[in-house]
Amino acid sequence: MNISIACSNDPAQCVAQLKRGSAAVPKLVLFFASSKLDIGSAERVLHESYPQSELIGCSTAGEISSGSMTEGMIVAMAIPEDYIDQAAATYIENPGDPAEVAKATAAIEAVLSQPILGLDPSSYVGIVIVDGLSGAEERLMEKLGDLTDVPFIGGSAGDDLAFRKTWVSLRGISHDHGAVIAVLHAPKGYQIVKTQSFRTTGKRLIATAVNEATRTVVEFDRQPAADAYAAALGVSVSELPALFMRHPLGLMMGLEPFVRSPQRISGTSVIFYCNMREGAELEVLDSTDIVADTEAALAAQSPTTAAGLINFHCILRTLELRAENRCQEYGQLFAGVPTVGFSTYGEEYMGHMNQTSTMLLFPGA
Amino acid sequence: MAGQIKRMLDQIVEKRAKGNTLIANLTTTKLMLKGINPEKYNASSPDDPAVISRVRTVAKELGVSI
Repeated sequence: MNISIACSNDPAQCVAQLKRGSAAVPKLVLFFASSKLDIGSAERVLHESYPQSELIGCSTAGEISSGSMTEGMIVAMAIPEDYIDQAAATYIENPGDPAEVAKATAAIEAVLSQPILGLDPSSYVGIVIVDGLSGAEERLMEKLGDLTDVPFIGGSAGDDLAFRKTWVSLRGISHDHGAVIAVLHAPKGYQIVKTQSFRTTGKRLIATAVNEATRTVVEFDRQPAADAYAAALGVSVSELPALFMRHPLGLMMGLEPFVRSPQRISGTSVIFYCNMREGAELEVLDSTDIVADTEAALAAQSPTTAAGLINFHCILRTLELRAENRCQEYGQLFAGVPTVGFSTYGEEYMGHMNQTSTMLLFPGA
Repeated sequence: MAGQIKRMLDQIVEKRAKGNTLIANLTTTKLMLKGINPEKYNASSPDDPAVISRVRTVAKELGVSI
């Protein structure tokens, strides 16, 4: 059986589309729904239609399906046993609490009947969907990384830029806080794509005073953070916010940045969408072409042979694409592959990051 | 004295990965995200007590005894 997808603003239509192409009892059903819709209705219809499948989902700030980027829709994917033959999911009410995360992974171990630390990361992968307003993503991801070698990929739920309330959903029950995690066994394997569209400028900043809990950098290079950041870009502090999206910072792993995006200036500090460790060395980045870079990243993974793709796509990238009127061009990159995704309030892969797309691909035949 | 930090980081990766290259790479990324960039340390790096203490904490978080 194939992986099937759906896109509609009507949950019943989604189910009809899913059932056209997939198994009667898929192992996993994912859905991402606009916060403008009735999430409760969507999850209820999906759960009633797939009572024996693991069902996870969340609210969005825009959706992605094969060939298009949408707003105000539900996108869904049904994945049969050919691609996922074990799926164990659980809800975490307080994802910032390491003890709760440990309890959640213990629940997953009970379902899988094996220790999560011993799972082979070449065939097991995790999905994480977290309240995008929780500010807890870093702690959740770090604790998951301590407990298991299974890589977790996912995104922070959105609410169409209202920034009031996001939803995560498990087995037909939604929550306006917390996180849902799932561990999946992919018998045919999987691939992860992490892509962001930036080059390094060669300019570095060291976070010398931070408040991790509030994602605030107080000082870079022992100077007020806003002053040092502006100086690195050769502009005044008043000009700095206009350059935030084009010039975020990157925590470098070799040549690969984990992007930390600034949100706003507060006094002389800079508040980010992601926390920074004291002593972190960061590269000042310069934006490049999202569509071209994504196309190259996908080509490197041979996605034309992919049986399915899940795209956790930063809302800041979506906003850039909307401003450039390139959403359809971006959506077309996925036209040949069954794809669902959503515009997130943060992306997860090993850790929490910004202005990135993290994608999970299931290889085809 | 020098080089202790690199030795400790190498031990963390080796003990966690147990010869699995994929897990070794994942562990290296985790170290970086925890604020310790393994690329920064070599056999000549000074034994900074603050960094050594942090590495011990990270090892404990990762369930590795060093």
